Amino acid sequence: MGPGEELAERFRDGDETALRTAYERHGSAVLVLGVRLLGNRADAEDITQATFVAAWTGRETFDPERGSLLGWLLGIARRKAVDRLRSAARDGRITDTVRSQPAPPTAAETPERVVDRLVVADELSRLPGEQRRTLELAFFDDLTHPQIAAVTGLPLGTVKSHIRRGMANLRRRWEVDGAASGPRSAGPSRAR
Amino acid sequence: MQHLDPDRLVLLALAEEAADPQESDHLAACADCRHELRSLEHVAGLGAEAAEVRELPPPPESVWAGIQADLARAAAPVAAPRRPSLLGARLRAGDGSRDPGVPATGERRRRWLAPVLAAAAAAVVAVAGTTVVLRGIDRPPAAEVTARATLAPLPTAPADARGAVRVLADGELVVDVQNLPLTTGFHEVWLIDPDDTTKMLSLGNLPARPEAVLPVPPGTDLHRYRLVDVSDEAHDGDATHSGKSLLRGTLTS
Repeated sequence: MGPGEELAERFRDGDETALRTAYERHGSAVLVLGVRLLGNRADAEDITQATFVAAWTGRETFDPERGSLLGWLLGIARRKAVDRLRSAARDGRITDTVRSQPAPPTAAETPERVVDRLVVADELSRLPGEQRRTLELAFFDDLTHPQIAAVTGLPLGTVKSHIRRGMANLRRRWEVDGAASGPRSAGPSRAR
Repeated sequence: MQHLDPDRLVLLALAEEAADPQESDHLAACADCRHELRSLEHVAGLGAEAAEVRELPPPPESVWAGIQADLARAAAPVAAPRRPSLLGARLRAGDGSRDPGVPATGERRRRWLAPVLAAAAAAVVAVAGTTVVLRGIDRPPAAEVTARATLAPLPTAPADARGAVRVLADGELVVDVQNLPLTTGFHEVWLIDPDDTTKMLSLGNLPARPEAVLPVPPGTDLHRYRLVDVSDEAHDGDATHSGKSLLRGTLTS
């Protein structure tokens, strides 16, 4: 059982230190999702607070079998953000909300995309060291396999296998935890 | 042609190399390989975007404080079910018949319910203790004190019983009591209007430890409800003040 799973179990079992640990580990991801979706930091902080409160009070509905704690938290945060946008729209405040956004959301910046990105970033940070390093060089520095081999001193074959396995790990996590994955085990606004 | 090699698909997904005509033909014809490539491309795109969400700044500590405050409020009805005033003016239907030790919100606190039913006194202590532990996690060091009270014993209490109360700027009331007499029931903290002592509100029960942190309901007028009272309550299902006050003191800011 990895550290993520152990935390998820403790969280579900009501261990209060797990709430703090989950907050330290995932609070910034939830906050970023809120900022991206709502366009302002104050609302995003409200969403972050509401998300962890809802997660803690509803922790018994969290099913570690169906996804990670982060995926579950982001699912809650996304619904809360969407609810807030809807109610803002109902109140006719949508223009203010839109105006306050630093940049208009592009087609690529859907809630789903942001959730997927956060989940993949989290998984990337959890990969074994060399696997992570080679993928970061490929993703962030746009290096080719031979360039990565040169930079790291690893044999080309090793780089290849790190990248292939790393990609497979990210993909698996995205499929389990990404926004397009199956219905979450909790959440008031999603019918089951 | 065979399916594309997994390493090859990764290279194509990373746009490190372009598909040769043969591979393009195969991709056009093979839904499986096309699906593989699309998934890997999607993951590669997300991976590249992950750069901007690495090493995110943590939320401000006020968010954590807000989480704690909300959870304390949510837990308060368990530790301290809202009680009608002595006059019963705000008595809600059904409230009087409810065992005050039983949480109103059953489902979510299912695991706490059994011990409450089994041993109300122990459960009250345990649940109140939970609140305190929760509130105690990483509390910002210098919460501003907005009011204080020194609690002195009434004739019903031992002469060395005493207590101190601090009201913090974030709406919490910290009670520190010593030498309270043992009780077969529980100790409860009230805020009373000294100008009309039939007006009072219950803040909750004291856990079996010297210090308790109880949330003050938002909007409470502490200039009016300034008399802090610690009472001895029996497990008699009567939600009102027992009349057995042990300690009292007046809040001053």
